[in-house]
Parts: sequence; C-alpha cells; structure tokens
Amino acid sequence: MRVDGAALAAFDEVFDYVVVGSGAAGATAARSLASTGRSVCILEEGPAMDPKAFGDDAWGAFKTMFRGMNGQVARGRAFIPVIQGRTLGGSTVINSAIAWRVPDDVLAEWETLGLGDALPPKELHRYWDEIEKDLDAAPTPEEAWGGFNTLMRDGARKLGVSAAPTRRYASGCKATGQCLTGCPSGAKRSMLTTYLPQAEAKGAVIVTGAEARRVLVKDGRAVGVEGLLSAPGRPAFRAMARRAVVVAASAIQSPLLLERSGVRSAHLGEHFMAHPGTPLTGLFDAPADLWRGATQGFDSVHHRRDWRVKVETIGLPPEIVFARLPGAGRRWKEKMALARRTAIFAVQTRAWAEGSVREGPFGADIRYDLTRRDMMQIRRGLRFSAELLFAAGAREVWPGIYGLPESLKPGEERLLDAGPDDPRCYSWILSHLFGTARMAARPGAGVVGADFAVHGVPNLVVADSSVFPTNLGVNPQHAIMAVARLCAERLAERA
Amino acid sequence: MLDALLPPGGPEGLPGAFEAGFEEFEKGFASDAPFPMRFGWRAALFAACWVSPLLIGRLPPLTRLAPPEREDALCAMGKSRVYLIRQVSLLLKAVTSFGYGGTKAVRRVVGYDAR
Repeated sequence: MRVDGAALAAFDEVFDYVVVGSGAAGATAARSLASTGRSVCILEEGPAMDPKAFGDDAWGAFKTMFRGMNGQVARGRAFIPVIQGRTLGGSTVINSAIAWRVPDDVLAEWETLGLGDALPPKELHRYWDEIEKDLDAAPTPEEAWGGFNTLMRDGARKLGVSAAPTRRYASGCKATGQCLTGCPSGAKRSMLTTYLPQAEAKGAVIVTGAEARRVLVKDGRAVGVEGLLSAPGRPAFRAMARRAVVVAASAIQSPLLLERSGVRSAHLGEHFMAHPGTPLTGLFDAPADLWRGATQGFDSVHHRRDWRVKVETIGLPPEIVFARLPGAGRRWKEKMALARRTAIFAVQTRAWAEGSVREGPFGADIRYDLTRRDMMQIRRGLRFSAELLFAAGAREVWPGIYGLPESLKPGEERLLDAGPDDPRCYSWILSHLFGTARMAARPGAGVVGADFAVHGVPNLVVADSSVFPTNLGVNPQHAIMAVARLCAERLAERA
Repeated sequence: MLDALLPPGGPEGLPGAFEAGFEEFEKGFASDAPFPMRFGWRAALFAACWVSPLLIGRLPPLTRLAPPEREDALCAMGKSRVYLIRQVSLLLKAVTSFGYGGTKAVRRVVGYDAR
C-alpha cells in the first residue's frame, strides 16, 4: 500500500518495523523484513514518481528527484556538489544501476579492521549472487554502447589496458542515455520498479513525502519515528515500531537523523568518505553522441589498486555537458556546436580524505577536503583517461582545469600528471558516500556494532553505507544492497 | 547580460539565450529553486555585471561595453585567479545551460534529437 504524505493531514500507525529511506539500502532491508511476514513501514522524504512520466530534461529531474535540486554542496577548500536522489527509490532512480561487488582486497581490509564476522565475505557473495539474479545484472550489451562507450573499448584495446562493459542492473537497456533523469524504458531495475513493489506485495506500507525528523527512543529502545509530511502546513506524523527502526537514509541523512534523535558518539557524522570524481572531455572527428548509449556503459579498473582510480564513460544531456565547456558568448557556442563529437571519461578516486556531516542552516553541512595523496591519484587518473581518449582517436582533450591549457593535443597528456595540486583548480562531483555511522568491532571506535545496532539502542539499526568502515573504489549500490540485506536478516533473526 | 553570454546568431544555427526561451525558464527557476541556489544565481548575475569588466581592465557595468568586450569579460571570469569568481562563472553557465540546453530548439541543432 502506498500513502502520499503530500495529501495527508495526519499519519499515526504502528508497525513491527519502520524503515527510514527507500533507496538501495532501505528498499532491500524492507523487502527482506516484509518477507518474514511482519508489518513494515517505509518512510521516504521525496515523492513517488511514475516511471512512465520520466522526461529527458535534467532541470525537471533535479527539481523533482534530487536532494536540494542537486544544489547540495560539500565545503572545503573547494565546493563540491554532492549528488543524491530524493525520491521513492532514492538514488537508484537516478544512477546508472552499476553492479560492482566489493573487491576482495577491500573485503580483506574490512577483515583486518576486525569486521570479518560482522561483514563476512562468503555471506556477502551469496547475497550478491541473489541480487544479481533478482535484478538481471549483466555487462552492458554491445547494442547499448553507442559511440562514446565504444570509444573507451577502442582506446583500451589500443593501449593494451583492461576495460570492460559495465555490469549493470539494466538488461534490455534501450540506450536512451537517460539514467540520470529516470529510465523511461523501465529497463533499469531501480528500487522504484523492483524491491519496493515486491515489499509492497508482501504487505509493506510506503509513505512518501514523509521526512523523518527523529527516532523516538524510550528506555534505551527505539519505539518509532516522528517527522513532517510534505502536505501544506507540514503536518506531523508518527510511525511506531514494535520491533525495530531501520535507518537507511544515506551517509548524509542517517547521521543527521541519529544526531537529532539523541544518539551521541564521537564518530557520528565523522569519517565521511567518498569517491570524488572529475571529468575529461575528448573531441573526436565523428559524432560520439554522448546522449545515445547506456549512460555509464564501459569502465576501466586497470589502475584501481595501484593508483586507486577508476575511469568510466558517462553520457549526459546537452544542458549538463554545456555547463562545463569553456568560454562565453560565441566562443561558448562554438564549443556547444561541437558537443555531439565529444566523449566524457570520468575519473573517480578511492580517496583517503575523511570529512564530516553536521546539521546546517540549509540542510546538511558537509565538510570535505581532498588530501595531497588524493590529488596525486586524480592527476594520474586524468592522465590515464586522456591516454584512453587519445588512443580512441580524440584530436583534442579539454581538461577544464585551471592552470592548464584549455585544450591538450596528443602527446600533452603529461601536463595532466603535472597538473595543479590545489583541488580548487578542478571541477568535482561527490557521489558514493560512506562512513558517517561506521561499524566498528569496539564500541568506542564506531557508531554501530557488528549487529548493525547503534551502541546502547539495540533495536535501532543502520543499514546503509554510513556503516561502511572504508570506501570501496567501485560503485557502491551492489555493496549497499548486500549489506542492507545482511543487516535485515540479522535483525529478523534477533527478533 | 545573457545576450552576452549566449548571443543570437553564430555557429550552426544555435539560438541565443532569449530566442531559446530562457526568460520562461528563469521565471520557473526563481520560484522553484531553493534559496541558496537562487542566491547563487543572483550573485552570479551581479558579478557578471559589476565584476567581470574589471577583469579586462574596463569599468562596469558590463552593459556599457561593446559586445566583443562583454564576451571577453565573461570569459575572463572563468579564467580568474580568484576561485570564487571562477565558481560564480560556473554557476552562471550551469543555470543558463539548464534553461538553454534543455530546449527543443537547441537540442535539435546539436543533434540530440537523433537519439
């Protein structure tokens, strides 16, 4: 059953479990809990979108489905946009549905942190097997590559480095390049079209337009969630929980909710980690059509371990491509006219930086500063990315980096490696967010224990990437889903 | 100002900002966007008008300059040594792009429709 908080005057119900958040973590946890036959309520702050109504206009999508209309920013030396979905299905509605298992070397790091039993690789792999089957995960098929994805294949072949079609939950992808604005064909298996309806079919109640403001804690137990509906006048709601409250609102929103709920830990909102990314644009002789093809259909992890970078293709609508093109006036328009012949390879790094998340006057106050090591990794990644673009036939590369020429010719890639050390010289985005309510073997070292429960409140669990002890170096949705499932099944067993 | 950023005419039939219907987008933006974004947009317009001419050694406002100088001034914002000015330039271009690149007239010219 679905309830639209935008049309409610009040809501006050009792369930066995209340899940805050409907993205990869919340939907997965809710589906598992609903499968046990218990009553489940899923609270989602954003609206429910009709997949048939997805358009291809970025601003329209930002207005309806992105947190802060995509204006959320991390502050540090540089301002970095932090991209998050705020809609039923969370970021899975607006991401590229990429399915990467946590690499074995990262799982081994988690074991060395004492979390081998809490996050057992064998169990996670079992969940990944199941999720991949559920959501039809498969490498992007050649018919969905389009020009810009094929270029990465060509460049990698020529350089003799590894790159592969990205494994995604999008079999039958129609290559519309619209992952960012919501998949119009329904090929993308977002939570909106998969786990949420499945949870609903098992009796879960979904309340959209319901902003969770506080987890109610009584005598050391979570007893429910209260918040505000999006209906005019912002009426209050309560969803009471007989058994447990599951917080799965993202590595930004979860720590804020816990903090407002009276949870105190030196680690809450700290250790904020991410995969900062920066793009590089290549200009080709023929159209690369970066708006026709799977949005992120090819990637290279050739330097994931040694340089901690991953390079991936990205297709974007013209309005987003234009914003980063150099110049103004006629010079800007000249570049726009060339946009169809450009391809963008984005570099993301498994950064060492740790920031923080606090409540601010306009939402989350996110602080984040890249370290010198991160900058070195990024520069190497950019050079590698430029080598791929040139090997694929780019006649020029437009770095968009202050202090470097507006355009690089083949042979000038080394300039990227020797580029500026100052993050303010680059254009960034932050996605893939982790660690703000981290799990730790010792109570004093984290916010949640091995059972995912907040220390001191045994039936208040955190199921999202806030609990991750490190970042991953690969796209995290698959990891988040497996961890959320582990969390939910442990919770159900305990109950 | 926006006529200087995206003037009419030019390469391959791309329209100017106003020919593409930016005014309508701006009205919606002013009513829909959250406060920090609206504030940023206003600040970006202010900087483009009153700061950008100084970057090329001219007196503001931008509207007093000849069209080629206006373009030079706006280009200079994106290359400024001051990070905040570069960010403001990016914001100016980002918001303008939303109201421009999303329109049918522009998309048709750049080949988006071919998809």
